[in-house]
Amino acid sequence: MSAGTVLVVEDDPQVRLFLRTALCAAEFRVVEAVTAAEGATLARSHNPALILLDLGLPDADGIEVTRSLRTWCTAPVIVLSARGREEDKIQALDAGADDYLTKPFGTGELLARIRSALRRVVLSATSASMTVEAGELCIDLEKRVVTRSGVEVHLKPTEYNVLALLARNAGKVLTHGQILKEVWGPGAVTHPHYVRVQMAELRKKLEADPAQPVVLITEPGVGYRLRV
Amino acid sequence: MDQVRPPLVHDSWLRRAGRHVLAALLVALTTAIAGFLSLDRLAEADIVLMYLLAITATAALYGLEPAIVAAALSVAAFDWFFVPPFHTFTVESSRHLLTFGMMFAVGVFVSGVATRLRQQRFDAELRRRTDEVRGALLSAVSHDLRTPLAAIAGAATALQQDNAPLPDADRRALLDSIAGQAFHLERLVGELLDMTRVEAGALALRKEWIPAEEIVGSAIERMRAQLSPRELRTELAADLPLLHVDPVLFEQVLVNLLDNAARHTPAATTVTVSARRLGAGVELAVADDGPGLPAGVDVFQKLVRGPGAQGGGLGLGLAICKSVVVAHGGNIVASPAPRGARLVITLPLPPTPPGGA
Repeated sequence: MSAGTVLVVEDDPQVRLFLRTALCAAEFRVVEAVTAAEGATLARSHNPALILLDLGLPDADGIEVTRSLRTWCTAPVIVLSARGREEDKIQALDAGADDYLTKPFGTGELLARIRSALRRVVLSATSASMTVEAGELCIDLEKRVVTRSGVEVHLKPTEYNVLALLARNAGKVLTHGQILKEVWGPGAVTHPHYVRVQMAELRKKLEADPAQPVVLITEPGVGYRLRV
Repeated sequence: MDQVRPPLVHDSWLRRAGRHVLAALLVALTTAIAGFLSLDRLAEADIVLMYLLAITATAALYGLEPAIVAAALSVAAFDWFFVPPFHTFTVESSRHLLTFGMMFAVGVFVSGVATRLRQQRFDAELRRRTDEVRGALLSAVSHDLRTPLAAIAGAATALQQDNAPLPDADRRALLDSIAGQAFHLERLVGELLDMTRVEAGALALRKEWIPAEEIVGSAIERMRAQLSPRELRTELAADLPLLHVDPVLFEQVLVNLLDNAARHTPAATTVTVSARRLGAGVELAVADDGPGLPAGVDVFQKLVRGPGAQGGGLGLGLAICKSVVVAHGGNIVASPAPRGARLVITLPLPPTPPGGA
């Protein structure tokens, strides 16, 4: 029984070999593309459950590929990129990618990210029930109530809005820009410290040690994610 | 060298003013000598040549700007002291105006040439020093990169041998070695990349306002596995202001400091990250109660490695820290501690950011 089809768009044969081996061992069916153009064709013909997309393809900008995939394809996209290219990751996430993996990565991390992305698809499709649990936290998006180990925590409106946004996208990385746009409006995207200050306040209220967070995770240079 | 040419010396207005004063003194000295020898023994042309000598010397010693000042002063002094009517700037014959013009023009022209020579000498010296560092770096780097590569190639080819099947435990050990050495190699390449980035782009800091907890937190998160099983403490003052730093580079500074602690201390060590306000700035420190830093060594120099380091890096980690912190207008020092090592960063604190949240 297959765990679903994964489309791998990657030009390097050695990396494809590694991905194919790891994914097949985890019972995924694998479809491989070497170029962005081929990737787009295969995405249409094979309707994959998830797409792994290398940002350094020879024939097209990975960010453009993500953007055009997003116009018609709902499968989660995880981009693969090198360390030190935070700008690329931000652009890919803003263009609609769901997550990123920094090369080199191990099989464990690869499969964890894929499963987490697939789980989010299932969750968002099945449940309109709006309660998100993360560690000791429980966020009730309907009643707008946040509890920590069963005790209600009082949050200011902006703090709640940031937390609720992360909760609605639980497990997914949100860039500073995405959070600013959603919570403060498009005019605020040049002030990432707004988000950082709110995150610091949230951590003070919700984390045992704000300097060693376990739920409100920083993705350095990129954004934040709520770890579930 | 195709990079932007560095200025000859980075210095204060005080030293610049000093060079202009020295230029003026040189002109004054020339005037005194010429006056002492007096017009009886010297032709006007001799005096003009003496001034040109002073201007050229100024250019060679102090650069173009003081030389132009010297040229202007020379023309003035020559007119005042040696051109009749004496002790006035008025001139009897228009021939002298031409002399003044020529004297100034030749002075400036010669100064230009002298300054260019001076810049070339400086460039050559810089290039020689850069080449030396690059050479040392390259040989250290290629050695350090080959070591994990050798382990990977060796282990992988051992696994390829199918004439003598290996016991499972050995296969497992070889596979662990391949994975471990590959990630080690990745870290070394990362270190090199950071060094290059810092050296090429110290001016391109992307500073943002960021709470200290966040940057400390993400650095700890990245280093958690390496630091384990050491005890990790954070002592962040409650009244810390936002830091104004490049989040990616500054996080790397903390990661390198934690990495340093992880590699030079035994497992039973406590590592403490602390931050507090200090005067008009902020002080961040990474301390441990391990064996301490080697005495008499500048640990922030490139390629300097402590004794007994585990899983050695390239010896660039702390040098990168220093470059990044200095680029932020701060400083990093090894501060004396009763036990263990304590590396302390001080950062200036700019005015607070515009508008709250």
